[in-house]
Amino acid sequence: MTATTIMPEARSASSALRRNFWRGVWRVMKRKPSRMAGVVIMAGFAFMGIFGPMLYPERLPRDTNALYASPSWAHPFGTDFEGTDVLALVVTGSRYVLLTGLVTAVITVVLGAGIGLFAGFRRGRWDSVLMRITDMKLTIPGLPLLLVLSTIWKFTSAIEMGLVLGLLGWGGVARAVRSQTLSLRERGFVEAARGLGLSTTHIIGRELLPSMAPYIAMNMLIAVTGAVYAQVGLFFLGVLPFEANNWGVMLNLAVFGGGALTTTAALPYLLAPLLAILLLTLGIVLVVDAMDEIFNPRLREE
Amino acid sequence: MSVTDKRAPGVRISDLSVVYRTQAGELPAVRGVDLELVPGTITGVVGESGSGKSTLALSLLNAVQPPGRISSGSVEIDGLGDVVSLTGDNLRKARGRHVGYVFQAAQNSLNPLKTVGKQLLDLGRSHDVDDLPGLVKEARSLLDRMGMDGARVLDSHQHELSGGMRQRVGIMLALVLNAHIVVLDEPTTALDMITQATILRIIREVHEERGLTTLVITHDLGVVAEIADRLAVMYGGRLVEQGPTREVLGAPKHPYTRGLLQAIPRLVGDIDEARALPGRPPTLGTIPPDGCVFRERCAVRMDVCETGEPPVLTIGPRIVACHAEAGEREPESEPAEEPEKETVTTGPVRGEEQA
Amino acid sequence: MITGKGITKTFRQRGGMLGARDVPALRGVDFSIEKGGAVSFIGESGCGKTTLGRILAGLESYDSGEIVIDGVPMSSLRPKQRQPHFRRVQLIHQDPYSALNPARTIHQTLDAPLSLRAKQTGRPRSWMDERAEELLGLVGLDPGYVLPRYPHQLSGGMRQRVVIARALTVDPDMLVADEATSMIDVSLRLGILALLKDLRDRLGVSVLFITHDVATARYIGLDGELYVIYRGQVVERGPVETIISDPVHPYTQSLLSAIPVLHGLEAPGAERVVPTEAIDAGRPDTGCLFAARCPFRTDRCESERPVLGHDGGTAQEHACFHPQRRSVVATPAVRL
Repeated sequence: MTATTIMPEARSASSALRRNFWRGVWRVMKRKPSRMAGVVIMAGFAFMGIFGPMLYPERLPRDTNALYASPSWAHPFGTDFEGTDVLALVVTGSRYVLLTGLVTAVITVVLGAGIGLFAGFRRGRWDSVLMRITDMKLTIPGLPLLLVLSTIWKFTSAIEMGLVLGLLGWGGVARAVRSQTLSLRERGFVEAARGLGLSTTHIIGRELLPSMAPYIAMNMLIAVTGAVYAQVGLFFLGVLPFEANNWGVMLNLAVFGGGALTTTAALPYLLAPLLAILLLTLGIVLVVDAMDEIFNPRLREE
Repeated sequence: MSVTDKRAPGVRISDLSVVYRTQAGELPAVRGVDLELVPGTITGVVGESGSGKSTLALSLLNAVQPPGRISSGSVEIDGLGDVVSLTGDNLRKARGRHVGYVFQAAQNSLNPLKTVGKQLLDLGRSHDVDDLPGLVKEARSLLDRMGMDGARVLDSHQHELSGGMRQRVGIMLALVLNAHIVVLDEPTTALDMITQATILRIIREVHEERGLTTLVITHDLGVVAEIADRLAVMYGGRLVEQGPTREVLGAPKHPYTRGLLQAIPRLVGDIDEARALPGRPPTLGTIPPDGCVFRERCAVRMDVCETGEPPVLTIGPRIVACHAEAGEREPESEPAEEPEKETVTTGPVRGEEQA
Repeated sequence: MITGKGITKTFRQRGGMLGARDVPALRGVDFSIEKGGAVSFIGESGCGKTTLGRILAGLESYDSGEIVIDGVPMSSLRPKQRQPHFRRVQLIHQDPYSALNPARTIHQTLDAPLSLRAKQTGRPRSWMDERAEELLGLVGLDPGYVLPRYPHQLSGGMRQRVVIARALTVDPDMLVADEATSMIDVSLRLGILALLKDLRDRLGVSVLFITHDVATARYIGLDGELYVIYRGQVVERGPVETIISDPVHPYTQSLLSAIPVLHGLEAPGAERVVPTEAIDAGRPDTGCLFAARCPFRTDRCESERPVLGHDGGTAQEHACFHPQRRSVVATPAVRL
């Protein structure tokens, strides 16, 4: 009986804590309007990626009377070479781009932080082995490898694309997390946890990880932009054969198909995906600014 | 050593206030401080964290960093004028030439990548010293004087020196440009007992030989007791008591000074005589805006302490700011509605008669 | 009861042009501490006192010697099995600012070891909250105020009390307080010392007090023992009051002489000893370790190493060929 009466109490304590955390996050965000703008932009992109494609039919309608139409009320960013609305293309193409970015970021951070934490905490032989692997990985040049890979692999799904980019990107994070871990593990509270006999899982997950949270969160957001650039670049260069529509494909077609760099007709077609990338980057940069304050209780609570 | 030492300049800090800009508005870290550094003496300022003692020391060089600023008052230095009104290059030159500063963590204030000698030359060049060999010679003799091998120390990097040696290098750098006012911020923190005793002895000796006016900032009453002629106690940004060291320690008048002395365990006598001060020192945000800053922890608090500024009493060479003390001395004075200024005794206070 | 016999530890210092250099931190230290007792180690930084505390708390290994915790010799156990025994010794860190995780509330900080404890003893979760409140009350904090707070919202003194409460979660036999008050405001220090003293009386926890401040060591336990360590060797050892009033080793005398005198309240001791400063650290370790700095050294001190004993009929043990009582401690002066 006591257990049942107490449990809600314990739960309410931890949920109160969580509530406090989110209230703190809200406070931090409110401090600068730019941060709110960043959140709005990112929420907009998330919405676009999740629900955007549902707003349009499977095959986008073509208006063959209006190839490369200039911007108008019906087509805010004009149309492309076959008369499809550019805005619709940007929206439907966002899912692939954003999903890739997300998958890349998750893999980068999970692998990087995991390996870095483990190596830094265990030290000794584990550290040497894992860091040698990391060093080797860091020496692999990403772009040439991708070029080679693309000859045998079509990257039709965003998840595959993200997986490859993620596997190429975790090295830097691992190195940095390891050095942070090495310095943190000498701190009094980590030593105290060891002295109290707390488990390694607890020490890594509850003591070390939260101290590195701002750094990891920042890296995650920055990894998203990195992944977006990388894949858009690959599609733009035409290295990857494309079956689906996405921003990189649009840029490629605008420049090489529409001659956007020489004529003005295809200019909106070129600028629309660029603008999307720019906005996404801006949103992320604005939010990254708040990370330090969000994860540092001192800055959050004030 | 005497008050009449011609070389030693005096310093008069009057009504000095320093505020820090925070989200809660501008909060005073130092408020209405009047303090005179008598030429040729060592003055010790004692206070806990948040008492404003380090800010006070920085004001002496007009070196309070934003978000802090000196909001009122003046720091008059003989031969230099009011430091608060100095700006730009004049100010930079004054630091080092007139006022030498030994930083809180002299252990960490040296550049780890350069030898001590190189840093000395940098210092000389930035102050347009023409005779650099002379500067090096002076530095070497200072280091020799402090019991080190000067030539070797100048060739050393920071990591090759022990804590006590770094502290001595810090003192050398503060004195080498022939400054006659020296500010030492926590000169012995993080040093061992024996090293501390050595450094304190050196400070005292160098002070006397060179005819300096010295200000020592510390949290440790023992340090001040060892070397200071005059003692000033700070609490919550206020100077609550000052006077000749022996008199203040022998018969403290302010309840805070009394409490602080009582809170130090002794080597002899009944250990139960030691008593902790209740409560905790205020931080910038929790310093009460009016009334006595110490009242929360005070054993002799009265109603008037809540609202009235404690009157500043001058009793011979000693100054104390306390309602209770005032009540004992002049029962007829009712300071509650009197503004602070009226009870302040202005004019320099010479406190060396007893020595 | 915890005893140690002949504990040695040598650190290998890497780097330098001559390659690795061996730095002895402890050279065969013996000690013992009763249940509820108080033992203080005093000495300068680098003398090995901190290393000893860390060894006892199981945070550092030792090269040789034997540690017996509650009758169990550690040498009889494999390293993994030793950990639960070393857990009976909890270290109170010097720095209460780094000893608490800034990203976790005090509630979370206490919860972790308590839930481990609850699991081991089969107690319900409700016990954890009760125990957290009980422990905070024990160290003189208001649980309602402290529990939901982050470390940065507490003063240094309060943090150190939280650290002590956290150490008490595992019901330790001994607390090792390593300079536990040196980073706390002067007016709050005595409160922490009084708390440690109080825990001895109320819980029967023994306290190993590591400090360079003899007066605080005295405050923790008038009934306790004082060990004076110099470069990894215990040079003088005995009841606190004896060592303070009648020190016989010149190093102890130097340490006591270096304590600032509160002029106006105290008069300096008549025979203060000022050690010469050790300049040559690379000197071979033959003879008495303190000889280079000792104002009273003789030829014998240069060639032979004295061992701890009662030579010369002193009340305390000492490691000196020429033990002599000197009154170096300040005495209370007549009030002005």
